[in-house]
Amino acid sequence: MNTDDTADEDAIGPADGNRGDVPITGDELLETFPRYRDDEDVSVLEIPGREASTVPNDEVLRPELAGPLEQDLYAHQAEALAALERDENVCVATSTSSGKTRIYALEIARNVLEARARGERSTAYVLYPTKALSRDQERELNDFFEQLGLDISVRVYDGDTDPGETRRQIREEADVIISNFAGVNTYLHDHDRWARFLSSCELVVIDESHTYTGVHGMHVAWVLRRLKRVLEYYGADPQFALTSATIGNPGEHSSALIDEPVTVVDEDGSPAGPRELVLWNPPARARADGADSDSTTTGGSEDEADDAVVDRVPASVEAPKLLSHLCYHDAQTLLFTPSRKLSELSIRRASTHRRDRSRYYTNPDRGSEIEPYHAGHSRTKRHGTEHRLKTGALDGVASTNALELGINVGEMDATVQLGYPGQRQSFWQQIGRAGRGTKRALSVLVAGHRTLDQYVANNPDYLLETDVEDAVVDVDNDAVFARHLLCAADELALEEADTGAFAGRERLEGAVEMWRRAGRLAGHLETGVSYVGPPRPQGSISLYATSGEEYVVELADGVDERHDPEMEPLAEERVLRDFHEGAIRLHEGQQYEVVGVDHDSPRPTVTLRPTDADCYTRTRTDVTVLDAVPEESREIGDFALHFGRGRVLVYHGTYDRVDVDSGDPKEQGIPTENPPLSIETQLCWLEVPDRVERALVERYREFSLEDEDGDGDGNEPAATAHLGYAGGLHAAEHATIGVAPLELMVDKRDLGGLATLSIDSHLERERGENGTTGERAPRNVAAAEATVREIADGLEHEPKSGWFIYDGIDGGLGFSRAIYENFEAVAERARELIADCDCGRVDGCPACVMDDQCGNDNQPLHREAAVDVLDRLLGNEDREALEAPAETEPGGDRRPPLFYS
Amino acid sequence: MTSHAGARLLALPPSAVLGRPAETLADVDATLEPDAVWLLGPEREARAFARTRREFDTPAFHPPLETNDGPVSRQALGAGLEVAVVRSIRALRASPADVSRALSDTRSSSTPIAVVCDDVTTTTRPTALETTLEGAAELAAALPTGRVTAVLTGGLPADYDELWHLEAETGAVRAVEHEPQLECEPAGDDCVSVRVRGVGPVEGYGGSASLAVLELDETGVTTVDTSDTSNFGLEAVTGIGPKTAKRLADSEVTTRAELLETPIDELADYPGVGRDGARRMHRHATVLETNEPRRLTGESLPGEGGRPPLCLDIETDGLSPTILWQIGVYDPVDDSYRAFVERDDPDDPAPVLESFCDWLFASHPDRALLTWNGWRFDYRHLGSFVTRHVPYYADEWESVPKFDLYDWAVREGHALLPGRTNRLDDVAGALGYEGGGTGLDGAQTAAAYQRFVRTGEELDWDRHEAYCEDDCRALWHVYDRLRGAPRAADPSDTSPADADGATPTGTSGGEQTGLGDF
Repeated sequence: MNTDDTADEDAIGPADGNRGDVPITGDELLETFPRYRDDEDVSVLEIPGREASTVPNDEVLRPELAGPLEQDLYAHQAEALAALERDENVCVATSTSSGKTRIYALEIARNVLEARARGERSTAYVLYPTKALSRDQERELNDFFEQLGLDISVRVYDGDTDPGETRRQIREEADVIISNFAGVNTYLHDHDRWARFLSSCELVVIDESHTYTGVHGMHVAWVLRRLKRVLEYYGADPQFALTSATIGNPGEHSSALIDEPVTVVDEDGSPAGPRELVLWNPPARARADGADSDSTTTGGSEDEADDAVVDRVPASVEAPKLLSHLCYHDAQTLLFTPSRKLSELSIRRASTHRRDRSRYYTNPDRGSEIEPYHAGHSRTKRHGTEHRLKTGALDGVASTNALELGINVGEMDATVQLGYPGQRQSFWQQIGRAGRGTKRALSVLVAGHRTLDQYVANNPDYLLETDVEDAVVDVDNDAVFARHLLCAADELALEEADTGAFAGRERLEGAVEMWRRAGRLAGHLETGVSYVGPPRPQGSISLYATSGEEYVVELADGVDERHDPEMEPLAEERVLRDFHEGAIRLHEGQQYEVVGVDHDSPRPTVTLRPTDADCYTRTRTDVTVLDAVPEESREIGDFALHFGRGRVLVYHGTYDRVDVDSGDPKEQGIPTENPPLSIETQLCWLEVPDRVERALVERYREFSLEDEDGDGDGNEPAATAHLGYAGGLHAAEHATIGVAPLELMVDKRDLGGLATLSIDSHLERERGENGTTGERAPRNVAAAEATVREIADGLEHEPKSGWFIYDGIDGGLGFSRAIYENFEAVAERARELIADCDCGRVDGCPACVMDDQCGNDNQPLHREAAVDVLDRLLGNEDREALEAPAETEPGGDRRPPLFYS
Repeated sequence: MTSHAGARLLALPPSAVLGRPAETLADVDATLEPDAVWLLGPEREARAFARTRREFDTPAFHPPLETNDGPVSRQALGAGLEVAVVRSIRALRASPADVSRALSDTRSSSTPIAVVCDDVTTTTRPTALETTLEGAAELAAALPTGRVTAVLTGGLPADYDELWHLEAETGAVRAVEHEPQLECEPAGDDCVSVRVRGVGPVEGYGGSASLAVLELDETGVTTVDTSDTSNFGLEAVTGIGPKTAKRLADSEVTTRAELLETPIDELADYPGVGRDGARRMHRHATVLETNEPRRLTGESLPGEGGRPPLCLDIETDGLSPTILWQIGVYDPVDDSYRAFVERDDPDDPAPVLESFCDWLFASHPDRALLTWNGWRFDYRHLGSFVTRHVPYYADEWESVPKFDLYDWAVREGHALLPGRTNRLDDVAGALGYEGGGTGLDGAQTAAAYQRFVRTGEELDWDRHEAYCEDDCRALWHVYDRLRGAPRAADPSDTSPADADGATPTGTSGGEQTGLGDF
């Protein structure tokens, strides 16, 4: 190790300042890269640099701290420290390597010095998203305090910490304890043992806070609320310091996490050199060399098994060539790959590229020190690679996103991204790795085949827009709330004081009553409610699922452990959809077959075996929505948009095996043996006005489907005048879900949709006389669909048409609410995506409106009709442009109750 | 067990019957002396039922197989008491009138004291913040209005006890009373009130307690006590799990007496036993057979050698307490007992702590404290409360020597104790302690105190103080018996019990999971 490395993670200045100016520019890359390319495939964008803005240290810090610091503070560091001094919580949302760690390190130092002057102690709880980051930052913080000449002890306390005496000693003695949220959740049970540490706690740091979104984010929000109760019990009222990548809503997101006001510091005062951004769409692949296609490269990430008609060289082949090329030209380069396997494979492909082009690369050893990096490597090996990068001994590294979060590897000359990482936030975080001080930096994005990649490649401005995705964290999910309430009652009795502070009165009382009826809580809020269920309710919290039922992923007996996919536990919803027995999943570049699923044991499991198949599996899904109840509504023009709750019945009943290369089904309708899934969740839905509907039905009434799918499942699109319009709704539903990640930090896999000609029959009905009996909900999807049709037939008025978008997780995630709130922006993107796609097909392609999760086999889809609907919604066309026929002619054909998921 | 005027019903799940040697069941039968045995449904387990009937010397019933008299049958429990056994909710739905008739049958000498139906259970839907009662509509249709009917079910754990008021017409829930042990009144003449009590397995640290023993009299269920099959027969012996018990049974070693007749060398040869394990088995079997405790190591008892420790017990208002409202201390030196009780201002936890600390540090500055499982409960909460409410005593409190007899004997493995479980009353009872028999447990005192705080309704203070005093004296009894117990004869055998067999009897792990546990 480089023991005299004085830089902390984010220190300014290059680790070695000897390199010349940028070794290769974007234009030079285009000129020198050995192969003909079409100008249209590449765009070079220039991002201007930024001067450093600094504040003298002694204006902000006391002399003991200001003195030993070598560089002045950046303006944002000073601003954050000033806000902390004013007792505010802060969220620092600035670029990679802008010195965020230093802010909380200095605040800790300040607190400790002040407390010691009073003869007291001051502690800090510092929480990272990964154990690897915890160890890295333990070193960085210890080094930094040593540099300041301060005796502040920083210790990691997590699942890897030796039990017994070591743990006791850390709790008793450490000034700073580093952990993660799974740890906090567990340790709260024994808070009395932490009394010393907690009662002196003056700062809680949540590093990389933007990673807490979705299911995980809401668990973290509740763990923090529980932590705050216990801190308050011990008389501590710490401040919170959050550090975040640049996201659209750092203040809102941070406040939602910690349930307190937060001051946002996002004016980056660190210097940045100008950056060239090259958007690189790989060249067309010669038709003949289809044989060269490599099954492992067809899917970028675990869940993207593209069945597009692919005619470009895959990003996984092209990106390693760029890595090799840039290293050859003396640019130290970091390649980001979506999987561990691709990080390994990229190294091989990089050197193959060198050999294949030996006439061009005349000095084969030049810039050839390239290594892979990912969490599958041992800690020692990873530290070695980090160190060699830092010192310049390595020319390049191909890494998973393990290097995206703050591990200190110094700064690179260039980055290459194998595929768009899915989020602008993540995109900026990754390319932030390149850029030595104020020197020019180069970043290349190699686009893959996926929808989002192609959208970005064709719309370069998207990346340069100032908006970054909003991070969504939601505490409205009662399933998650209720589980954390049990833990809270176990930790300290629930009392009146918790109303308002922990949850609103009605919600708190409702949940306490629910658990009392279930025999899990005892006592009254006036006097204290205790937990009386099976021991340690914290153990049943799954930080990645809402129900508490999470499935552990295991390798089949006898399989070598190095194949362990090391997957996070899976929520039940995902197990039913993607991990049924017989499913073939691609995870980090390795194919796995699910060989067993145990739903019933107390510890449910999914068992995998590595496989090498020329097919993947695609689940067929029946979905219907029932009993939707609007909670909020608003108008967009004469469209009505609603947000609310309802029941979604999902049945992943069969699956197909699909050929990897051709995308053709090899075997269809294999039963999954799954039980149906009923979730109570959040949804939003759009109602198309009658006038628009009538006009579009009229316009597309000639549309029909080729009758090729006679599979007799009873839900074939009937030949009807409404089919074209229904296809438009269906396509618009797919597209709005598909582009949601462009606006919001949502995971498309957690969203579902349903396009319907009869929204009304999915809404909750007025209760009938006998509507109060317990078993009113249909138990399976077929019954539910029958119910929906029956309701449709019984409606007295003509129902509205439109589409639902729902959160595919029990209790909801806040995603459909975020879409409700940002619907225009999402619809705008969806319209662009569909209209700009050059597939030229009426029913679209996988890059625009087809979705491999579609329960209706992507039928019917109608791009043009979808664009028409979205145009009306967005007010893009004159009302006059669309001639609506008169009100439904008497005796005209009644619309069929069609719906497509 | 003391003799009883009412009836004793043993409820056990099929899993507790299958896969156990007959002798273990015989020991259950002999020890618990049930008047009737209920093999829990709702699954039909004919094999387990046949075995139950064979191994228990009392009438047995298994609701799914009770088909004699249609959907409802009456089961005599002894002492003239009967329960109405309903096969299933489905049967109830089909013929609610049969149940009504069974419950009001005047031809019989008595009306049933409870209805048994194993698929009555609760279902929790967190997304709707709602817990429903399965079978509510059926129960409402079948049970009488205007009075409380007890429904017993294996579908809920044995600590479940809630009073559901259901609309007679629909079964819709009108209200649920959570402390029927304190107050159990019907909600009106148009309302079906059902007191639902669980008898099913209770999950705890280190496994579940699958047996429930119900004491009943003409008023209904008076107490529910739990333990596990592993507390009986050979499995009660440290180091013998179901597998070893099975192997021993194959060699016709089926009782603790037979175990003691089996030479150590022979036992040591069983898989995973070894010499040390075999010796420990012998010792523990001896302890269980003779009810004489045995010290396994040369280690002194906590506080042994100086003046005997003060025996301490606290009462709280819940497992996550907001007040420690009673602190009882028994001083064996002069056989005196002192209680510090908050009877006036339950909103302020400080005075009772303060007077306890005043007394302790003034009168007994040099004495050590002794508790049963105190590290997980009494000391834990006292420490936290002293720091918060009487911080000026925090340092002194910190410096008082504190001992936990349970921890010393069971977790650290310095002694073997008799008794079916590690609960203080079981251990002390096996060692010949005759308690005051207050009929209370920690959960009841907590609920009673909470009611006092809410409504001002006074507790029966004397009874609750007697309960606390009884525990302090029982603790001293155990300590005293251990003091007189022989120490390990073989000085080389000082290793504490190994991890897997660390607990001589059932409730292992040791964290307090219910106020009645320890």
